Amino acid sequence: MSETSPADSAVIARSRQEPEVFGEIFRRHAAEIKRFVIRRLGLDVAEDVVAETFLAAFHQRGRYDLARHNALPWLYGIATNLIGRHKRTEARQLNLLVRTGVDPVTEPFTPRSDERLSAQAVQQRLAAALVALPAGHRDVLLLVTWGGLSYAEAAEALGIRVGTVRSRINRARTKIREELGGTDPTALVIEEVRHG
Amino acid sequence: MDDLAQLNNFRSEVPVQEDLRAEAERLMAGMSAPARPNFRRLGLRAALAGGLAAAVGVAVFLVQNQPAPTPPPPLIRTVAAVEVLTRAAEHAGSRPELHPRPGQFLVYQSETMNSAEGEGQIWLSRARRTFWQPVEGSSVKAFLQNEILAPLPYPGHMLPPLAQWEQEQVGKPSRPERAADFDDRPEFMRNDYAYVSKLPTDTEGMRRHLYTQVPFDGLQDYEAWGRVGGLLQESYLPAAQRAALFRAAATIPGVVTVKEAQDAAGRTGIAAAMVSPMGVREEYIFDRKTYDYLGRRGVVVDAKLANAPVGSVVSSSAQLKVSVADGAPIVE
Repeated sequence: MSETSPADSAVIARSRQEPEVFGEIFRRHAAEIKRFVIRRLGLDVAEDVVAETFLAAFHQRGRYDLARHNALPWLYGIATNLIGRHKRTEARQLNLLVRTGVDPVTEPFTPRSDERLSAQAVQQRLAAALVALPAGHRDVLLLVTWGGLSYAEAAEALGIRVGTVRSRINRARTKIREELGGTDPTALVIEEVRHG
Repeated sequence: MDDLAQLNNFRSEVPVQEDLRAEAERLMAGMSAPARPNFRRLGLRAALAGGLAAAVGVAVFLVQNQPAPTPPPPLIRTVAAVEVLTRAAEHAGSRPELHPRPGQFLVYQSETMNSAEGEGQIWLSRARRTFWQPVEGSSVKAFLQNEILAPLPYPGHMLPPLAQWEQEQVGKPSRPERAADFDDRPEFMRNDYAYVSKLPTDTEGMRRHLYTQVPFDGLQDYEAWGRVGGLLQESYLPAAQRAALFRAAATIPGVVTVKEAQDAAGRTGIAAAMVSPMGVREEYIFDRKTYDYLGRRGVVVDAKLANAPVGSVVSSSAQLKVSVADGAPIVE
């Protein structure tokens, strides 16, 4: 976002009177939200989830808290809720990766010749760890890592307390480290991941 | 590389998506869908002095002349899910029918409760209303008498200052007034008796009617469900069309049965329902014995989407009486 463009909250406020202005929120954030949805569910259902995310956001814009200048956490929250309806799709693809070593999610974007076997083993373990996590824990973990949300933003996005975010992240990371095998002592220091 | 870095690396080859045309089109279609806020529209009609005109006026960028898509194939549904609607269809012909003639009015007496919003405040707006609908023609010739009832807090919220005005109107019934200054609903959204008497009497035909010009944006079944409500609330269909409506409604994917529901007047019945994209289960309630339509109710099933606790009621209505009158009240 450049210095001169209005904050998301100002755009949303205006869209309450002029609905078509909401298109600007889509233009600003749809690409990032779509990449996130694809990483979780794959290309096939991403279009549905992204379209529904922004439609739901449009319908809820009257309730958006205008004190929040950046709409991304809100959009990530809606998208995560909608992703929850496709838990089976998500689990099936992760399980497929665990069993076969081929990730149906990244396949469309990966050149056939690019076989990175060492990385593949790590991916299989990560997939096994992710699929074994409770859905709520996976949601929080991926919002903070892939989505780049702070703990506070993730809490806001999912309507849960920051303490809940922290404990879910801790437990999820413990399971992932167990799955990955090695215990890296430095990884026990929990830091908030903050981007942008 | 620590676990977070490895996780960040996982599926990082998925590129940022530049081609978002399909999603953009669906958003635009959804934003401009003619009757998307169907329940909200009923609410606006109840809440605003300007009546239907104000609600219809919002749809300034109405998308017209979209190619009519074929409705999705009906799903095979469990007996329980369609039971209410099927029974309602079977009972549609068993009661004395109203036979309004051209020039007469159908008179609906009802109570409504809908969410009202303004300046970031939200509350539940309630009214008792009498609606005189001409047997033939648009809502411009319809009349409405609205009596504001005490507003209630939106579940989980305080009663905000904006609701004060409604509080002051309690006990001061308004005079009947013209229900709308203009009515530019498309033909297929009409619900006057002359029009609904010509609707199909077979399930498939009625189903096509419910999906007329519905954009296929993932919300199409909910849209069709909203249209069922438009033909139940302040609308009266001949028995044959009513039966077809119930049968067609039973084919809409996502319809569920609610064993006990209460309308705005406290009458209990059995309901058919669908969960809205706003996390609210929108129920149509029928009398347990006669399967007469009693009213509707909106119950929160997703606290976050609905911004209210699960199980709370965020909208309801009760259709108390439907009758035929020769004339409408005089309006100066």
